[in-house]
Amino acid sequence: MTEKMNKPGQRICVFGDYRNYFQNRVTLQLLARARELAPAIGAEVCAVVFGSQVSEYVCEYIAHGAQTVYVADDPVLKDYCVETYLFLAEHLIRQYRPDIFLIGATDFGREFAPRVAKRLKTGLTADCIGLEINADGLLVQTAPSFGGNLIATIITPEKRPQMATVRPGTFKELPHNDAAAGRIVSIPVPSDLPIPRVRLVHSERKPPREQRIEDAGIVICGGRGMGSRTKFKKLFEMARLMGAEVGATRPVVHSHWADHDCLVGQAGKNIHPRILFSLGVSGAIQHTAAIHDADLIIAINKNPNAAMMKMADVAIVADAGQFCSAMIRELKNRIRE
Amino acid sequence: MKHKAVRKAVREFAETELGPIVSDLDRESRFPWEVIAKMRPLNFFGLQIPRDYGGADIDSISYAITIEEISRVSAAIGLCVTVHNSVGAYPIVLFGTAEQKKRFLPSLAGGERIGAFCLSEANAGSDAGGVETHGVKDGDAYVINGTKIFVTNGGVCGLALIFAVTDPDNAKSGASVFMVEKETPGFSVGEIEDLCGMRANPVSSLFFEDCRVPETHLLGRPGEGLRIGLAALDTGRIGIAAQALGIAQAAFDAALKYSRERQQFGRPISTFQTIQNYLADMSTEIDAGRLLLYRACAFKDSGGPFGPEAAKAKLYCSTLATRVTNLAVQIHGGYGYSKEYDVERYFRDAKVTEIYEGTSEVQRMVIARALLSRPT
Amino acid sequence: MMDSPMLKLVVCVKQVPMVSELPWDSKTGTLKRNMAEGMMNPACKHALEAALEIKNSHGAHITTLSMGPPMAEEILRESLAMGADRSILLTDPRMAGADTLITSYTLAHAIAKECPDFDLILCGCQTSDSETAQVGPQLAEELDIPAVAYVKQVEIAGRRVRMQRESDDFLETLEMDMPGLITVSTAGYPPRYVSLCGLQLAFEAGDIVRRSMDDIGLESADVGMQASPTRILDVYSSIARKKNIVLKGTPKKSVETLFDQFGDKLSGVMAKDLKTHDHDRNDDDREDE
Repeated sequence: MTEKMNKPGQRICVFGDYRNYFQNRVTLQLLARARELAPAIGAEVCAVVFGSQVSEYVCEYIAHGAQTVYVADDPVLKDYCVETYLFLAEHLIRQYRPDIFLIGATDFGREFAPRVAKRLKTGLTADCIGLEINADGLLVQTAPSFGGNLIATIITPEKRPQMATVRPGTFKELPHNDAAAGRIVSIPVPSDLPIPRVRLVHSERKPPREQRIEDAGIVICGGRGMGSRTKFKKLFEMARLMGAEVGATRPVVHSHWADHDCLVGQAGKNIHPRILFSLGVSGAIQHTAAIHDADLIIAINKNPNAAMMKMADVAIVADAGQFCSAMIRELKNRIRE
Repeated sequence: MKHKAVRKAVREFAETELGPIVSDLDRESRFPWEVIAKMRPLNFFGLQIPRDYGGADIDSISYAITIEEISRVSAAIGLCVTVHNSVGAYPIVLFGTAEQKKRFLPSLAGGERIGAFCLSEANAGSDAGGVETHGVKDGDAYVINGTKIFVTNGGVCGLALIFAVTDPDNAKSGASVFMVEKETPGFSVGEIEDLCGMRANPVSSLFFEDCRVPETHLLGRPGEGLRIGLAALDTGRIGIAAQALGIAQAAFDAALKYSRERQQFGRPISTFQTIQNYLADMSTEIDAGRLLLYRACAFKDSGGPFGPEAAKAKLYCSTLATRVTNLAVQIHGGYGYSKEYDVERYFRDAKVTEIYEGTSEVQRMVIARALLSRPT
Repeated sequence: MMDSPMLKLVVCVKQVPMVSELPWDSKTGTLKRNMAEGMMNPACKHALEAALEIKNSHGAHITTLSMGPPMAEEILRESLAMGADRSILLTDPRMAGADTLITSYTLAHAIAKECPDFDLILCGCQTSDSETAQVGPQLAEELDIPAVAYVKQVEIAGRRVRMQRESDDFLETLEMDMPGLITVSTAGYPPRYVSLCGLQLAFEAGDIVRRSMDDIGLESADVGMQASPTRILDVYSSIARKKNIVLKGTPKKSVETLFDQFGDKLSGVMAKDLKTHDHDRNDDDREDE
């Protein structure tokens, strides 16, 4: 597999989080990254799947890079359950001793992973936006803090496994490869599985909305610098043309230029667009802390020194309202229907 | 730590609830009842009312900080709160009978009634002796006639303390103070004044036409009006000094921020010595004013006379507020003169602090009188 | 004396830097943490609000617990002003630098020592500084009690806690028996403002209970940075590593530049085909810089 010495039993495990498969492909992304990292430590990439009738996902993970899949497939596992999964994961890890255990930073992952780490008394880095292997063969985990204003690199030098939750969208998944082969290891579900102390009374999928600002690839955020309610409305036209969603800052919502639904920030929505347009937004931390992981931030403000302009990839010094109008004209010009 | 906590708590409230709308309030001359509703349960209207009557009974430095922090965001609402508390409610705390306190203080403390204090008339302002509004005893009531002008909170007040002459023959001690509820027949509110600043505060005239007020609503004794008025103004001046300081602080904060952002000749204007001198002077004056103000508060809380200290704080803080806001506009240059930036509002709001609750000239009179009354 | 059946709630609160006023070292891109003003972590405030609403409807005794420097007393006073009944500050320089594993270990010891008979522990779902969301769930593990994260709404009936939350696009209703732990999201329980009267009373209430490592029966080797399995290699400002292209000139020109430079990216994310532009068209509507 690699020219490096393949230490027996070295593994990178990826937790198979399939509940929102199709929308959320973080498991596939982690498998891809694990495959990139594995040669440096001579490891095998493994997926871990718990559930009922999950063979479909097992195949999917193999097709996306998993070399081994550990599967516990049992009707008793049909609901996502932190406590049951915790029990299984703990035993699996104690048995197979992976060097690295990666979990997608979904809501479930972020509730589940800390408890796994606690049981194994190992370190865990939250919501990573980068993973590397350093010269010592350690997993270097890059994690944001202070709403992305600070970035820290963190290692777990001694305890094993090295654990991280990873933000969806951080890595690119491998193309689906039907020809890929993988080993499937069935994990027996003990008959004396502890009864969960938290009972799921009811669960329903949230009614699908056409597009939610939380999931939008492009978000256009407007601040007070838009100047007026009328000018703010133009953002919706720009958003329509781009297939984007409109967000607003707190002062805008307070001034009733936009609904509370649009509020991006503390007590509002968290967004992680690939592209963010930020028009007339000063960049108060209560707002910027809710913006995660944008590949490209384009800020438009008359004040070149506004905090938002400083954190932008492209800072355009202009009146936000005028920019919006110019953008609308240009989009109409350029979009080929 | 307590005073820091008060500052943080009030700042958080003011920045969150008033910050986003303050320029609209100013432009539209709108009084934000929706924010007032949120202020009520937080004791903003019972700052120095005893807790038995639903107040918070906070110390005077906390009081000053509260007014300062509201005014740092909205001077007009800071004005509403300080006038309500210091000259609307506090005189009742000082001079009211047990019955009167029970009747009037809870609704003031809860902010259900907003208080006002009416001294000025067309021919009376600095000269309280010129008051023409009069109350004539008629059975167990007084019948009041007259017009008060420039009444802060006039348009929204639920209870007005009014000065009226009850003994026209006695120039010195002929005035009394009445507590008049807004629903009293014969009481009406005039048009809202179109003022240079403080535009979110509905300053108006109040009319009294054969307004029958029960004698039980007379505060203190008949003829005690001047004494009550002067005592109220001592407290009121602490509030106005705090308000002026809040405006100055806001202007300074804006100027400091702007000077670091604004580039001219290829560098931030804060790197120019002239701007640095301005900033240093502004900050020094604000600190000096704050110390004068807190000293007056400490004097008040110690229970001794604090009139001259309050007058000095009011004189100094109001004049520094006009100087500081003027410099803040200057530092902002053309933008400072534009409605797009807040400093022009600070500039307009600051001026009146030198005028109301005793002009700067009157403050000097009060200070000088205290100096000269000392034995040689 | 009869034991009162009153619910005993513990709310864990953390003081975090008030980021709006963060003093950055512009040269190194690092944060001068010691210069920052502190505040109660927003999610912790929501957790405290949830506890206060339980107190309002059921009657409860609320203990707020914080681990941090002596300055963290500020947020505990604030918690008293909001309506908590008792506050404990866990402060000891030897505890500094703990990661989430060790923080939860330390908090669990303090709770076991100071409020062993708790019914429900409430934590904020995550902090605004390190943003791990790990301490709450790990604290539950350490105490071996059931736990639910990201709770939006909580109801109590007898010994049963019923919770609602959103988790990965599912609306869930969950139940557990007390004692248990929840982490409260910022989607529910908007925190009340501190009243001025409450604040005065909070400061008249006397001293905050302070506990050191020794008081809760821990040793140096168990706590702080040295006991933590993770190591921070480096911290840097994300802004410092951005390119930050600045465009000036007319909006029209900026828009064109934007499409020229990022047209591919825009087109990819928009999933729309964009014309690359002919720049030699009529320029009469172009203004000068």
